[in-house]
Amino acid sequence: MIELPDLVAGGLAAGTLSALALGGGLLHTRRRLARQQAESTALRARLDESLRVFTAEVEHLAARRLPAAARALAHPHLTVPGPLHPQTAGSPLGHALEGVLQGLRVELAAQQVRVDAAAQAGMRGATREIQAALYRLQDALRGLQQRYDDPELAQTLFELDHENEQSLRRAQVAAVVCGAWVGLAREESHLVDAVTGGQSRLAGYRRVTVHNHLRPGTALVSHAVEPVAIITAELLDNALRHSAPDTEVLVSLEHVHHGVCVTVDDAGVGMTPDERERAQRLVAGRDPILLTDLGDPPRMGLAAIGQLTRQFDLTVDVSSPSPYGGVRAVLRVAEHLLSRIDPAERPPAASAPRSTRENAPEAPARAVPGDIAAPTPDETAAATPAGDPAAPRETPASGPAVALPGRPAATPPGAPSVTPPGRPAAGHHTTLPGGPASAPAHAYGTEPPGPAAGTVPAHDDDRRDTGGLPRRRRRTPMAAAEQAVPAPRGVAPQRPERAAAALGALQSGTAAARAGSTPETAEPTNDTENEGETAR
Amino acid sequence: MTARPGGRPLVPAYLATGGTARHPRLRLERLSLLLRSDKPVPDGLTPAQLALLDELADGTLTVVEAAALLRLPVSAIRVLAAELVDRDLLVTRAPIPPAERFAPDLLKRVADGLRALKH
Repeated sequence: MIELPDLVAGGLAAGTLSALALGGGLLHTRRRLARQQAESTALRARLDESLRVFTAEVEHLAARRLPAAARALAHPHLTVPGPLHPQTAGSPLGHALEGVLQGLRVELAAQQVRVDAAAQAGMRGATREIQAALYRLQDALRGLQQRYDDPELAQTLFELDHENEQSLRRAQVAAVVCGAWVGLAREESHLVDAVTGGQSRLAGYRRVTVHNHLRPGTALVSHAVEPVAIITAELLDNALRHSAPDTEVLVSLEHVHHGVCVTVDDAGVGMTPDERERAQRLVAGRDPILLTDLGDPPRMGLAAIGQLTRQFDLTVDVSSPSPYGGVRAVLRVAEHLLSRIDPAERPPAASAPRSTRENAPEAPARAVPGDIAAPTPDETAAATPAGDPAAPRETPASGPAVALPGRPAATPPGAPSVTPPGRPAAGHHTTLPGGPASAPAHAYGTEPPGPAAGTVPAHDDDRRDTGGLPRRRRRTPMAAAEQAVPAPRGVAPQRPERAAAALGALQSGTAAARAGSTPETAEPTNDTENEGETAR
Repeated sequence: MTARPGGRPLVPAYLATGGTARHPRLRLERLSLLLRSDKPVPDGLTPAQLALLDELADGTLTVVEAAALLRLPVSAIRVLAAELVDRDLLVTRAPIPPAERFAPDLLKRVADGLRALKH
């Protein structure tokens, strides 16, 4: 019986102990649970907070930063806003968001290039068709100009031709900006022709004055002709557009050490440094061209110049202000794009300004490699009497007949081997009585008879070097024809002494034998005898 | 005159006259003769006018011939020449009129007369 209470007591004690232990553990656990709960609540709050921040940041990215970044591609002056919370910037989230922006920029740029390329291709196709059509129209108009000369109709045709040239220029420039070929193959041409051709494509071409200081015959190789014409037209267009309608735009063509410079000066408003910098960047042609960069309406001129300078190794500089207050644009054509055309064989267009150097002796050291040195002796010889400007003024008074012996002398200097015998021959020849060299070239019989034969050689030289009267060298076919005419007669002057001796002997002989005959009958006999003698 | 080698001319014709094809007063014929006067060449002529004077330095030309030599349309030469005539630098002559055709009536009557003589 005693064991039972002990057992109970023991059990109770054990129960109490374990209850106590359990209670303590329970308490501890409960406390820990409470602490963990509080901790997790705090964590959840923080998580909510950071999620909110993240969401806000992404919303901010979508609503503000992405559009701004997209716009900033087109307008670089726009600033892209930073993240909503400044502390995000350095965090991994900030970096990730920056990566999103960067990816967008890259993809957008690529997209822009693709879209632009498609637009350019479309425009290229369209302008090529238009350009071809306008060339056909030009052919038709020029054909009509040749065929019909009624003043009213001709006036309209001139106006249409000019309108057509302007449309052609626009189409061509648009095509060139879009990366197309210039659209027209030309042959080697005088540089002044290319510049004048460019001038003619503008509405205000009458305000342009071209000063040509090039050596006659300075030409462009075939593939550079059209680009130079286009660039000149665009530079002139800029100059005309940005200067008052009553001012002139001056163009001067000059030789420089490494080629030829075409300088365009306007007296307009000029450009601000920013504009100048942009223009210089465009004409340098280093950056690829996007149509979207050209504005609306697109300003294509400078962009076209940029394309051409890049393709054809030309140099354009618009960075300096003009002494006239406007802009000075300089197109430099390098030596390897230059060539030479004999101006006697193929003269420049009639309306192209004359070279101011036509009478000046040429500097052989600076000569274009090849044949430019050939005319030098001839030209200097021709230019020597030019120091006396008073006498030449009078010479036209003596009538066109005296001009004629001058024609062989004005032979193209490209054939100097022919000239030396030809020229003295003409001089001797005309001193003979009834010299046949005075036969008119344009034989309408309207020319008054020439003056005393002795004065002819002097007039000949004077006329050619008349100070104010620019000289134009003859074309080869005409020169050849002229040389052909005096050639058979020139047999006599080749041996003038013999001819004179024969004539003298004949005269004395006939005078002795036919003392009774009149001079009128003797004269023709002498002539025929002379001809026979010299022909032998 | 054959066409210019190489095709399309770079410089259009209207540039020669500054875009005008009409002259208020003077109307030259295609075959009018142009003759250089003895007046010295003043300053301030256009290149095309100088070119025309140069062509005429060697003698007389008709309007069409000058046009062919300068590779310009006749209408442009007309204006250039008329401007130079205004400045007394050129003299023009009327073209030589072409011979008139015989009246067919007259020919018929002559033939009839001849036949009458023969019979």
